[in-house]
Amino acid sequence: MDDLTNIPQLTISIFGSNWVFNTETILMTWIAMGAILFFGFMATRKIDVVPNPFQVVGELFVGAFYGLTKDALDEDMAPKYFPLICSLFMFLLLCNWLGVFPHLSEPTKDLNTTLGLGLLGFVIAHYSGIKAKGFGRYLKEYCEPIFFMAPLNVIGEIAKVVSISFRLYGNIMGGAIIVLVVSHLVYELVLPPLLIAFFSIFVGTIQAFVFTMLTLVYISVQVK
Amino acid sequence: MMNLDVQSTVSLASYVGAGFCIGLGAIGAALGEGYTAGFACEGISQNTKKSGDIMKNMLVGQAVAESAAIFALVIAILLIFTDPGMVLTLLSASSAIGAGLCMGIGAIGSGIGSGFPAGQCCLGLSRQPAVSGKLTTNMLIGSAVCQTPAIFSMVVSLMLLFMDFSKLPLNPNWAALIGAGLSTGLAAIGSGMGGGMAAGSSCQGIARNPGTTGPVTTTMLIGQAVSQTPAIFGLLVSFILMFKGFPESTSLAAAMAPLAAGICMGFGGIGPGIGNGFTAQYAVTWVARNIEEAGALTRTMLVGQAVSQSTAIYAMVVSLVLVFVL
Repeated sequence: MDDLTNIPQLTISIFGSNWVFNTETILMTWIAMGAILFFGFMATRKIDVVPNPFQVVGELFVGAFYGLTKDALDEDMAPKYFPLICSLFMFLLLCNWLGVFPHLSEPTKDLNTTLGLGLLGFVIAHYSGIKAKGFGRYLKEYCEPIFFMAPLNVIGEIAKVVSISFRLYGNIMGGAIIVLVVSHLVYELVLPPLLIAFFSIFVGTIQAFVFTMLTLVYISVQVK
Repeated sequence: MMNLDVQSTVSLASYVGAGFCIGLGAIGAALGEGYTAGFACEGISQNTKKSGDIMKNMLVGQAVAESAAIFALVIAILLIFTDPGMVLTLLSASSAIGAGLCMGIGAIGSGIGSGFPAGQCCLGLSRQPAVSGKLTTNMLIGSAVCQTPAIFSMVVSLMLLFMDFSKLPLNPNWAALIGAGLSTGLAAIGSGMGGGMAAGSSCQGIARNPGTTGPVTTTMLIGQAVSQTPAIFGLLVSFILMFKGFPESTSLAAAMAPLAAGICMGFGGIGPGIGNGFTAQYAVTWVARNIEEAGALTRTMLVGQAVSQSTAIYAMVVSLVLVFVL
């Protein structure tokens, strides 16, 4: 249990204030970003009618997520938000799958990562809402059905960020805790690889998809 | 009055916890499996030629529903037989009871919930034998996501069992550990059932209109994810109660505040979980029948669920006030 509560941290003092960096999380995030950049480079390097394997996978992602974005938003708004949605899914998928490889760990196991991504979706959704409806109508929606419901509506919006980020964090961290305890109990025999396959690959894929779709639907609720 | 030393108090608490754990944990899975078998009978009577496939599917679906009870069994066996290898204090006794209650109560909802998709899938197989592959895949995804609240409960139970709380002062923290178990455990009931309702109607929808599999599965996953929000609030309150480390106090009121926080979030999460499940169930049903309106249906579902969830948010606000303000 100790290695779960013990997060490697680096503290740097700049102008008298302490800046804490979670080194492992940052390193793993950079590995995931590097892998996606490499994938993007390989997929678009030689675009051809007869595609290379990277291009096939890229086209699958783009096709599927363009369809989903078009269903949730409309034809006119989909091209604007589609790159965000597709890259968010690819990044989260890779993050959740990193734990399969030895010596690597999921950056989504750190609440800071998921909370950051949740806040990103929150800010984008509200910014697009204000832009699409105007500030007055945006504010008016908080006062529905009656004006004194406004504080609760604000809490409800904040709770969305809490739930979306804790959903991803809880699933990935929960998987890690179960794998750790079970490995300890069965002396690392037989079960742990199966559990890692279930929690990283299956649950990781579903949770990456759910996080992406919820971000998309939150945007779509705001702009409509 | 007998005099108990720490070792026997902890053993006693572990046995009580194990009893609660498997006793309560067996409720949900059995109900869910019975529901599945009932619909399998209906399916076989409608399409006798496919009885072999329906039977196989019933057994697979029941096995997934059973996993909630198996989690409870694992925790009960751990409570009875393992020695955590730490310094035992009286806090270990309360964490054993907390772990047992958490897993036992938390397995109820997921067990019942996983029965819904399995039953509807058996019925769907008799109606549309040609799409058995799609139906079974959708059932497995839906019922695996239903297990998430039970997995959250298992995580909290394992943390209660294996984390070292021995440095914390006894008085307020014994109540905080039991509260941590109750918070996730109770909140998982509603979320497990709600997720199951959404998954059940998605299997029904695919059997009605196999062309809508993609949008139906997507709506199901969004609906299930939002139904699980109360369980996530429960998990959040449990984490706060476990990690806060309340300062030592001699008054009973200081201990009741964290216990009440756990109970408040736990009970507060049951209703919103099931309510969100209702919303998701009908949204998924109508996405399957009226695919053109999938976007509007998903948005309406989300707005409705947000309103029904506000009660879980009240419960969370009161819990946080009990933990941090009092």
